[in-house]
Amino acid sequence: MPFLARILTTLALMSFLMTAYVHAADPTPKITVGTQEVGLSVGYLLPHRLTQDHTTKQQGVALMPSWMMTLTDPIGGSWYRGQVSLGAEMVYIQFQEPFLTHGLGFTPKIKYTFVALDRLRPYVEFAGGPFWTDLAGKIPEESSRFNFILTAGFGISYFLTNQVALNVGYRFQHISNAGTHYPNLGLNASLPFGGFSFYF
Amino acid sequence: MTRHLIHWTILGLVVLTTTTTVGCTTRWIDVTRSPTSRQELVTQSILNNERVPLVMDGFRMTQNGAPQNPSAEVERRILNTMHETRLFSTLIPFGGNVGSFGDKVVTARITFDETIDSHSGETAWKGFLIGASMFLLSPVIDLDYDYAAEANLELGRWDGQIKRYTARSAGTAHYTVFAATPTMIGELKGKVTEACLTDLIDQLTRDTNFYMASSAPLPDSPIVSVTVKTRKPLPSPASLSAVPVSTAPAP
Repeated sequence: MPFLARILTTLALMSFLMTAYVHAADPTPKITVGTQEVGLSVGYLLPHRLTQDHTTKQQGVALMPSWMMTLTDPIGGSWYRGQVSLGAEMVYIQFQEPFLTHGLGFTPKIKYTFVALDRLRPYVEFAGGPFWTDLAGKIPEESSRFNFILTAGFGISYFLTNQVALNVGYRFQHISNAGTHYPNLGLNASLPFGGFSFYF
Repeated sequence: MTRHLIHWTILGLVVLTTTTTVGCTTRWIDVTRSPTSRQELVTQSILNNERVPLVMDGFRMTQNGAPQNPSAEVERRILNTMHETRLFSTLIPFGGNVGSFGDKVVTARITFDETIDSHSGETAWKGFLIGASMFLLSPVIDLDYDYAAEANLELGRWDGQIKRYTARSAGTAHYTVFAATPTMIGELKGKVTEACLTDLIDQLTRDTNFYMASSAPLPDSPIVSVTVKTRKPLPSPASLSAVPVSTAPAP
């Protein structure tokens, strides 16, 4: 996994360099309507074989650049106080098992970020969109290259400065072709990830 | 199959670029003034030595009914607007030294109430729809952000007479998702505040004669007194819902 190791090392180094600015920053990040966020997340895909028909142990590195727009001021007045943001994400997966193949997708994404904990901001997110992969046809679960990818996950952002946040989280991913070709068992996977976001 | 995918990718990118380009240009702001505000310009002449200083004596701000830290920016903006009328000789901000300006001084107390409604629930649902449509609906679904301002100005003349002025204005920013920026909200607040202050100053300048130095003599008593009192607490939801009503006649 030299590719993943390189990316994780780069992220760790960037976060270390950015922590130097933490103490000089304003204590509360001000995310308002219209604030945009660009981010990059990296994770590793781990397979879930949910039925006996699922046999493939697909795994690999996932790279997810994203863009989000904050749509609302904080909603609610208790622990669930938070903001809604909408955006899109590119998903690139390099399947390293069972074959070295690739997948590329584009998913609109909606995110709810809890803001009650100041710099520490948990969030939940949902995304879905078209996904192309050449893994199809080589495994029993997927018969077509054109698929859809659905993602549900949660994570936590820690704001190093008012504009930069580190993110870690977990996603569950489902890839299938929505019945356009058979067989269509679909692939399910866990995706623990880490990354950073820049707000402007 | 690969050619098919490339065609769809190119088509998708064209559609996305078109929708974002169209969407980026779509935003506008509506501002509604108070129905009492007038359009005609008020102009009066006043002798220079008839002008007296204005001293800021109190400044309070609320947002959706909740007290806020007073904003120096808003205070400065109000003072600048009053200064532009040239009605007063000097304007002294809150906490400034008033010792050298004589006895004829007008004191000002200002409250500035902001009401913000970002239509969060509605915007969240619209955002969901826009995302589900792969942003294709973004040019046709408008999002709204409401902002209203109410300024209350209480001016006390050196002889103890007090005049009160109130102005209100409201505005809505209509925008598509790709046109949203924090600057847009700033523009909305700026325009609404400007309309509100214009109305307030318009009312003030109609009373120009009331604030002229010759309009009232200094009070006979050289002893100046002030009333010391506690702040009236804001009504809590509980006190709003439970109004004490006496059914028995007083003894």
